[in-house]
Amino acid sequence: MKKKKTEEKENKKEKKPKLPLGKVLSDNLFVLKIVHRAAPWYMPTYFGWSVFGSIINFLSGSYLLRLVINKMQDPDALISVLLYIGVIFSLNVVYRLVIGWINNKLYPRYNIKIVGEFQQMLFDKARRVELACYEDPAFYDKYVKVMDTAYNRSMNVIYALDRLIWNGVSFFANAALLYIIDPWFIVFGLFPLLLGLLNKTSNKLGHKLRTDATPCDRKEAYVRRAFYMADYAKEMRLSNISRPIFGLQKKAMEDHIALLRAYRWKQVPIRYALEIGLEVVTILGSMLYAAWRTLVDTTAPMLIGDCIVVFNSVSMIAWTLNDLIANLAEFHANALYIEDFRYFLDYEPKIAQNEDGRTARGGTLECRNVSFGYKDAPEQALSDVSFTIRPGEKIALVGCNGSGKTTLVKLLLHLYEPTKGQILLNGIDAGEYSLDSWRAQFGVVFQDLKTFSMSVAENVLMRPLREGDEERVVEALKQSGGWDKVASLPGGIHTTLTREFDDKGVVLSGGESQKIALARIFADPSPIVILDEPSSALDPIAEYTMFNNMLRACEGRTLVFISHRLSSAVLADRVILLDGGRICEMGSHEELMKANGPYAEMFRKQAENYVDTTEQKEVNV
Amino acid sequence: MSTTEKKPKIKQKPARIIRNNLAVIAKVARLTPGYIIAMVLEGVVYGALNACETVFMFRLFNALDENPSFELVATIILTLAAFYLIARVYTNWYWHYYHAAIQRKLIYKMHRELFEKARQMDLACYDDPVFYNDFVWAMDQSHSRAVSVIEDVGKIINRLVASGTIFSVLFTVDIPMALILLVCCVSTIVLRQYMNKVSFRHREETQSMHRHKNYINRLYYLSDYAKELRISQVDSNLMDAYWRNMNGIVDTDLRYGKIYFLWNDVVAGIVDNLTYYGILVYMVLQLAHGNVLIGGLAAAVNAVWSCRWLLSDLISRFTKFPEHSLYIEKYLTFLSHKPTIVSGEGEVEELEELVLENVGFTYPSSEKKEEGKEESKEKTQEQAKEAPKASLTNVSLTIKRGEKVAFVGYNGAGKTTLTKLLMRLYDPSEGRILYNGRDLRDLSLEQLRSHIGAVFQDYRLFGATVAENVLGDVYDGSPEQEAAVKAALHAATFDEKLEHLPDGIHTLLTREFDDKGVNLSGGESQKVAIARCFAHPYELMILDEPSSALDPLAEYELNHAILQKADEKTVIFISHRLSTTRMADRIYMFENGSIIESGSHEELMEQNGKYAEMFRLQAEKYQTKG
Repeated sequence: MKKKKTEEKENKKEKKPKLPLGKVLSDNLFVLKIVHRAAPWYMPTYFGWSVFGSIINFLSGSYLLRLVINKMQDPDALISVLLYIGVIFSLNVVYRLVIGWINNKLYPRYNIKIVGEFQQMLFDKARRVELACYEDPAFYDKYVKVMDTAYNRSMNVIYALDRLIWNGVSFFANAALLYIIDPWFIVFGLFPLLLGLLNKTSNKLGHKLRTDATPCDRKEAYVRRAFYMADYAKEMRLSNISRPIFGLQKKAMEDHIALLRAYRWKQVPIRYALEIGLEVVTILGSMLYAAWRTLVDTTAPMLIGDCIVVFNSVSMIAWTLNDLIANLAEFHANALYIEDFRYFLDYEPKIAQNEDGRTARGGTLECRNVSFGYKDAPEQALSDVSFTIRPGEKIALVGCNGSGKTTLVKLLLHLYEPTKGQILLNGIDAGEYSLDSWRAQFGVVFQDLKTFSMSVAENVLMRPLREGDEERVVEALKQSGGWDKVASLPGGIHTTLTREFDDKGVVLSGGESQKIALARIFADPSPIVILDEPSSALDPIAEYTMFNNMLRACEGRTLVFISHRLSSAVLADRVILLDGGRICEMGSHEELMKANGPYAEMFRKQAENYVDTTEQKEVNV
Repeated sequence: MSTTEKKPKIKQKPARIIRNNLAVIAKVARLTPGYIIAMVLEGVVYGALNACETVFMFRLFNALDENPSFELVATIILTLAAFYLIARVYTNWYWHYYHAAIQRKLIYKMHRELFEKARQMDLACYDDPVFYNDFVWAMDQSHSRAVSVIEDVGKIINRLVASGTIFSVLFTVDIPMALILLVCCVSTIVLRQYMNKVSFRHREETQSMHRHKNYINRLYYLSDYAKELRISQVDSNLMDAYWRNMNGIVDTDLRYGKIYFLWNDVVAGIVDNLTYYGILVYMVLQLAHGNVLIGGLAAAVNAVWSCRWLLSDLISRFTKFPEHSLYIEKYLTFLSHKPTIVSGEGEVEELEELVLENVGFTYPSSEKKEEGKEESKEKTQEQAKEAPKASLTNVSLTIKRGEKVAFVGYNGAGKTTLTKLLMRLYDPSEGRILYNGRDLRDLSLEQLRSHIGAVFQDYRLFGATVAENVLGDVYDGSPEQEAAVKAALHAATFDEKLEHLPDGIHTLLTREFDDKGVNLSGGESQKVAIARCFAHPYELMILDEPSSALDPLAEYELNHAILQKADEKTVIFISHRLSTTRMADRIYMFENGSIIESGSHEELMEQNGKYAEMFRLQAEKYQTKG
């Protein structure tokens, strides 16, 4: 009874997922099919040569040695021995040449096809997965793992299969040879199989040690970063925070060593038993038996050649068997990854691409009773938001941090689906439009905008450069105020951003990157423009000019700008004030000031200092 | 910041290589002497284990050939068994227990030394990309480099013992055969060296393409780029670049494939097989003539493979030392780096007056002499073109105890730089800064900094509790300290958020190593940072745009709170929002690194200069109210 309980406990602890055999097979086959589709000749050549190679390997190893030594007892056999050696020699040379040719001339071409097949599948999917998936840690973990390792893991299926073939052929060939000599030797070779159980416990211990040590590793990595990142450098020097951090580092090291002590002491005897089992019991044991058969057993004495083969072949079958166990486990381990890969490929984005949907071409944008909550967040980010934006209107979306402004923008872009309510364009639900055309009608500059390691022109256009685009890029940069900087660059608009892949690349400051991002809006005449706090990295004068420019440049286009500085709201036709995910006031600046509600209060507080002086000035004047 | 770096290609003198490698071995011997002893022993024991298969075969089969007694053969086998039983105890203990534990200790000790050093390093070093890259490398990789030096030495001992034993057996068997084998091994090694060079070139040629390809792969899953990827067509640019790089890689692979095929497969394939089968045929003939026994033949055949492998591994270990040396040098350079900002002797008293006399400052770009001369040549030329511009020129001002001072001006006008000089994160290139009439350079650095509290624009919280972030290591959890932390947080208007934190002031910040840790928003982090200033008895507070990440209401509250709490303290505000700094006693307007106007808000408005113009521009948008 007691035993059962502890077993159950252990089972619960070890949450290693086990896949049924059928799944393992189907997952591995799934990958093989993709590879076959991409390069039909890859697998036949690969596996064909492994069968050939493993046979040659056997013939030139144990088999050759036995033949030579046994035949040499008879002096007349010399010629046939030399002949046989000659044949094996030429087979080996041919094998080396063919495999070399395949590896160096054929496979680079096949590989690019296979990589292409995998990456295309992944990239297509990755781009369509909705943004909410990034916030689901379980999904995101899988996603990152799949993107990083899908190809390598899939190719591991091929390598594992190759190893299986190699091991299988050499196991059976050596076992057959031993069987002919004396079946008892096979028993010696099978002995390490019994030790396989020990191997399992050892692996489990190793796995547990790794998991338990992860917090230590993370601590160490953090301490290291805290010391070298420029971001932390000033605090490190001005405060005494470094001492608790040293403490953290010391503790991490001590914990780690304590863990090693606890686990490794159990592992050492197991490893010892495994090695001794193979080296002493199997190999030396069988040698002792072989010596006895040759020297003492007079009924049917063994030949010396057989004796030498025993030394080779017994260790071969012990070794291949051991390896086969790991080999089969590999198929299972690969299947676990392929599961994730397939899960990702089969995942249907909640926000459908809807390629046959209507084409959106601007118009009246409407939010109707929209509510939205992030996954796992206790509070709603937006609740019951309704408003209409007519074409050409200039809207200021204002509110405190966390009031839901950015979330609302993400919903408008259909990066998320509202939990309740609808977003409509010209009275038709967003879901009915094709997703690409829906997003194409927005030009957006995000708060956390990113530039890519491509040329300035590409960063502005955000699509490949076509003929006649250069002027458009320059014009757009002029409007966004980024031209002065770009014109001073050695390569002009063809300069690469960041030095990561181009030594002549440039690194732009935050404000300069923002101007590049702003230029995107001018390069692409989308009907609706959204600016998410674009002025936060700009100084007051730059901010002032930018807003003025934007207003003028976006003549005729719908403009939504987000800010927590109310000064900018004055410029808008209409102000939407968000608070706690709800619209708390809406109207023009004048109306809202007259209403004397929360907006007016906020405005006055922010303006307090400025307004005082202007009044003074007016008095002075 | 990418830590991936191109492999440096510098020719080094052998003496330098030996010196660097010895230096690191000496360092390990000093930090963890047990490691070195255990490693040498392991090399010997393991080498003997590697050799015994051949030696054993030779002895055993020779014995068998002469029809011996079973007892004799059994003794040979059992002796070997005994040797295995004993040797494996040691190798197991070493590899599966000792090795991991001693490495941890070594890493810890090396890091501790590096971190202490990093803390004293001049801030200017962070601006020097060459130095900084090496520094990051030293932090990330030096320990593993030290471990590989030690491991390589261990393996070399092992290979020497093993191949030495095998060859001495072979020479007793048949001298011509042993010589042929030796020659073949050497030729394989030479070929291998050549191929290593080729594949090194190959890797170098494709390296940046691989990096580019991986970068694009990353863009598809990093959440930072998710939005841009979805709302634009940038996808097609990325795919173009991806395939351009992929095709580039394949073309290079195919080009090098020809060389590999010729040498690795045609030449080496024939040489390898000729050696093996040649020796086999030779030994068969010798056996037929009765010159050797069967054991000799078996041992020779066995030795062909193991010796070739042992020797080529031995050589490839040796060829790693120049590379080790290059990296070790970076590590040693960093350790021997002398900070230019060194502490003075003077006691630091309470602040009475801070005077700046004609202070000028230029950020040091890389005019510094570099160690790797070859590679930096190009860079220095490049940098010479864009001559470094002075960040501050001829700044003179006086700050009296208790004054509230504001530094205003556009981005890049030198405001932040000036505060860095005050904290002695940099030293001025011209002029001097006087603290109570004494030059900052004469004062104790630690004491000086303990008088100054600063909130930086890019403030970072540490992975520790709220209380520890506020008080630093002095926090011991006593009720008085708890109260002090709470009071400081209150002053920084952090109360509301504090109520929502699961463990109050003991909540762990950041999720670095605890998934229950809390990530604060930008504004919230800044409040914690400001609380730190209030919790300590700093006399001088420097607030570098403390409210930039806050929303209007919070900014309003915070500005009032800071002024109220800081009534006796000397405060330096930095901002480009003039509404925040209006209440300062004295405002310094910066432009291009110089003070162009100074005075109280009213005075400056009356002067009707740049300040007034800037103020009006900012105020304009609020004026429509009236």
